[in-house]
Amino acid sequence: MNSFLRAALTLALALGGSVSAGAQLLPAAIPSEPVALAGGRVTISGDVSGGFAPDDTGFFNYTDYDHSALRLFRVDLSSQFTLNRHVAMLAEIRDENLDELRAYAFYLRIRPWADHAFDVQVGRVPPTFGAFARRTYASDNPLIGYPLAYQYLTSLRPDSLPWNADELLRMRTRGWLSAFSIGNTTPENGVPLVTAFRWDTGVQMHAVSGIFDGTVAVTTGTVSNPRLTDDNSAPQVAGRLSARPVTGLVLGVSAARGPFVSSTAARGAVGDGHDHSFTQTALGADLEYSRDYYLLRAETIWSEWKLPGVGAPVIREPLRALSTSIEGRYKIYPGVYVAARVDHLGFSDLAGSSGVQSWEAPLSRIEIGGGYSLQRNLLLKVSVQHNTRDGGRVTQATLPAIQLVYWF
Amino acid sequence: MRRVLPAFVAFVLALAPFAVRGGAQGRRTGTIRGRVDLRRLPPPAEPRPNVADLGAATLTLDLSDRLKSVVYLESAPRGAFETVETTHAIMDQRGERFVPHVLAITTGTIVDFPNSDQIYHNVFSLSKTRPFDLGRYAAGRSKPIRFDKPGIVRVFCDIHSHMNAFILVFSHPFFSLTDADGRYRIDNVPPGTYSVVAWNEGRASDPRTVTVTDSGVEEEDFTLR
Repeated sequence: MNSFLRAALTLALALGGSVSAGAQLLPAAIPSEPVALAGGRVTISGDVSGGFAPDDTGFFNYTDYDHSALRLFRVDLSSQFTLNRHVAMLAEIRDENLDELRAYAFYLRIRPWADHAFDVQVGRVPPTFGAFARRTYASDNPLIGYPLAYQYLTSLRPDSLPWNADELLRMRTRGWLSAFSIGNTTPENGVPLVTAFRWDTGVQMHAVSGIFDGTVAVTTGTVSNPRLTDDNSAPQVAGRLSARPVTGLVLGVSAARGPFVSSTAARGAVGDGHDHSFTQTALGADLEYSRDYYLLRAETIWSEWKLPGVGAPVIREPLRALSTSIEGRYKIYPGVYVAARVDHLGFSDLAGSSGVQSWEAPLSRIEIGGGYSLQRNLLLKVSVQHNTRDGGRVTQATLPAIQLVYWF
Repeated sequence: MRRVLPAFVAFVLALAPFAVRGGAQGRRTGTIRGRVDLRRLPPPAEPRPNVADLGAATLTLDLSDRLKSVVYLESAPRGAFETVETTHAIMDQRGERFVPHVLAITTGTIVDFPNSDQIYHNVFSLSKTRPFDLGRYAAGRSKPIRFDKPGIVRVFCDIHSHMNAFILVFSHPFFSLTDADGRYRIDNVPPGTYSVVAWNEGRASDPRTVTVTDSGVEEEDFTLR
């Protein structure tokens, strides 16, 4: 039995067998509210989720950490230490499938003027770009899968570069285990457009004024490759502006730009001093509207990566991708909802020796599901996901999934 | 707590409409009063650490609502239900809190849930006594819920996890909410012998036996640990 299945079983056994809505199912020793210590100065909360789904042989749902988003046992512990009205330390540690523990977030939040909504955050900070990346917790995601832009692995790698267009095209649909001949030649996973599974490191400033909410950040990595330490000579700059013109409506735009290719890989391709030229630029727009019992979200992300042109046929143009995701949720009864997400991810064309084709295989996903709250902080989700891809060994996959989510 | 709550609900549901050792109607009534001493102060519901947020939340916590307890007769005198009136109560949503945090009502009461914040709230309860979900609605709007079954209803906001409240629904009018000092007073109790319970934030005292005489005032203090 593999580790995630073992973990899911452990969780199921711990939670007991009763499934009566509204009943207290969890043992009294398991917290249902955040744990508060030192008079509320320290608060600790947690999110635990365990999912099960059949084998995803087409690797449609694989994530940064070589795990499938549908077959994931995840434990998140978040904490906040409030020193005073101006300074707080926030951290989150995460474990996936009982592997090693990772520090997902660790930063200092400084509010220089206590009465003004202006914050400076320093350290491993929340994503500035986009909307979904800050609500990846299973309790915030109405479905089990993730939007393609935030999860689907392209073949691109920051530390490994294709010699020519043919080499890149040979890696189509191989983002779960990609390798090129320049830089690090060890096969590893590629990157999504914007990763939902790692946070970047740097300085972030956030302010709220009226209906507007603005954030800018300077960080070490890029939106598709957030990093703890920098691997090239320049930082990424990202910004987001959102507005709430009426209650329930949020409109947001985001932009980010920074060197994507590592110094080592760039040196292997074109020599020293050029790594800052090979950038990732991303633009995003998002919308959320909710009222009564429904919630509607839409997000589109455009991303462009500039790679060095080395051998013929040369990769002359930047590689581009465009994703669009629309998601809805409707509550049909207290504690019961249905949800659906429609997603498409497309890629620009690239000329190789055997003709022109998109540099990655475009794909679409429809996921339909729902959730049932066994109690307020214990949610059972089920979904069915249908993926279609224009390329690769597996071009279609229908994946049912079930997930149990507990939070405090 | 987990053992006491179902016992409370079962008692109120099963026994409340009937006289156990209560006096008859038409006679002079007495009063039960006293104080509830909270040895362990209930902690305020701290918000979850907002690690994924781009900035700090501006939220003030208030402990005072949580100091209020409810004292009630576990069983009610016969005739306590002869007059059933539909009344209204209000549980406001203000400053990301439910105000009041504890509401004690009789069956048939309609509770209005106005939203006085400039943001959405989504009031809901999964309690078996009265499951409901009012959906999201903006400032200035209010939605009502009628409570016809006695029991405890835990109320939450689906958007703000730190918002929670209690509604205690009784099938009789013999209950009292304590003031800030923990003092309570249950008036118009017909002469008889009753079980009296004090409740705070899900904790309930052991029942105390109190005998009410004509026009008498009985003192009964409680300590909740």
